[in-house]
Amino acid sequence: MSKLMNIQSAIALIENGNTVGIGGNVLHRAPMALVREMIRQQKRKLKIIKTAGAMDVDMLCFGECVESVDAGFISYESEFSLADHYRKAVQEGKVKANEHACYTVMSALRAAVYGIPFMPVHGLMEGDLIEVNDYFTRINDPFSNEQVTVVKAIRPDVTIIHVQEADENGNAIMYGPKFDDILLAKAAKKVIISAENIVEESRFRLSREKADIPHFMVSAVVHIKKGAAPCSCAEHYDIDRQSILDFKALKDKEQLAHYLTQYEKADCR
Amino acid sequence: MDNNVIKESYLSYRPCDIMVCVMARLIENNNTVFHGVSSHMPMIATVLAKATHAPDAVHLNIPGGVDPEVTTLQKYTSAGSELTQGSVCDFPLSDIFDLSMRGGLDVAFLSGIQFDNKGNVNASVIGDYHKPKVRMPGGAGSAVLIPTAKRAIIWRTKHDKRTFVPKVDFVTTRGNIDKIVTPLCVFKMHKGELLLDSIHPTSSIEEISENTGFDIRYIELKYTKVPTETEMRALIRIDPQDYRNIEFEKK
Repeated sequence: MSKLMNIQSAIALIENGNTVGIGGNVLHRAPMALVREMIRQQKRKLKIIKTAGAMDVDMLCFGECVESVDAGFISYESEFSLADHYRKAVQEGKVKANEHACYTVMSALRAAVYGIPFMPVHGLMEGDLIEVNDYFTRINDPFSNEQVTVVKAIRPDVTIIHVQEADENGNAIMYGPKFDDILLAKAAKKVIISAENIVEESRFRLSREKADIPHFMVSAVVHIKKGAAPCSCAEHYDIDRQSILDFKALKDKEQLAHYLTQYEKADCR
Repeated sequence: MDNNVIKESYLSYRPCDIMVCVMARLIENNNTVFHGVSSHMPMIATVLAKATHAPDAVHLNIPGGVDPEVTTLQKYTSAGSELTQGSVCDFPLSDIFDLSMRGGLDVAFLSGIQFDNKGNVNASVIGDYHKPKVRMPGGAGSAVLIPTAKRAIIWRTKHDKRTFVPKVDFVTTRGNIDKIVTPLCVFKMHKGELLLDSIHPTSSIEEISENTGFDIRYIELKYTKVPTETEMRALIRIDPQDYRNIEFEKK
């Protein structure tokens, strides 16, 4: 069954207040076109899930789409410094920062994948994160009666991922680092895929190289060239430095709207 | 800095060169070694260790490369697909965390914003956690890697009284720190206390005291071994663009 659709219809599957998992890692293969469309459609009160986020989470906070962010790390890396819109939104109390270790996000997603309510995580015993966050706690190991730390399951309503290739049914493959995208997809109720290239299903059937994400887990496929730009997409393009710098220099929502307009033709063709 | 200048003066070293060489020397042959995002200095240190005294050390990283043949480093990232090029296996971040949880990760390089002499690490907030004055990026893997890695090595390019404080604002994690490498010195954890391990020859005990928010204590006063000619030559070959210095350029 073809799930190929335009970006507007795909992002319309996301409802206000949804928990949204975002694929990629820092400035690599983040689904930026889908993120931009979420801002154009003025999504609100989203609960964002990501291991290590950068421009995607920063932009959604700037666009006032976000209620909370569950993540281990939100910042650009060395060259582009901090995620200022995210920081400002948290410091002004507009966005709740639910700090995880990246691994506890993975563990929470694994719990959802396994259909269980929480997951034991080693290592959390030290420090204050377990004291101040209600998604971490301690329980007794019923076998040894020793304490173990656990994290509450996270089941995204929707996960958004950008891949290099997908077929119109939703079978999708990533080249280069896959980060936590497969886990994010399996944990979610719906998956929205944007792809650099739409390929024939036979590309998977006849190849030794199979899809990473199977069609039956995918709700929408959108064909978007440069769908991760200005972030990188392995084997296709590296980051667009100027566009990232331009974004970081934006002062207000009008300037953000103008910045998004520059991508609109490419995103929404 | 102009590459030719470095090449001609490979024996003149800066704090960044000392820091990277110190971090490289802390890697032993056969160690499994992990570095994360925003981690140019440990990334270069790992490649340096493999090129010098620890050829069998195993380089692990976020994109999942195992022993990548790193030819071109990137300025903006230490988590890009260049770290999978020439790699022998895909071993993604989730596998690296799992490895550390079961006691199999030898070295994890991590950082933070504030440290105190009890070995507490803050990478989360300045002020109250729920109403922060400053929201930091977050500890990334620190909260589970520092307690579980066999040796957690911290580097921080700022050494001042706002960084090395009497008491951290928030404890992202604590305890199992092996060393902290700064532009001025190396600290080590000893019986639950952060002690001065060695002074970089570019600094002095006075400078360290003036820039540290707790009393400097040590067992033995010694200097950090300076980078050797072999190390500096390897560094310039591995990192011709001088990315090991980018954290200092930002200031």
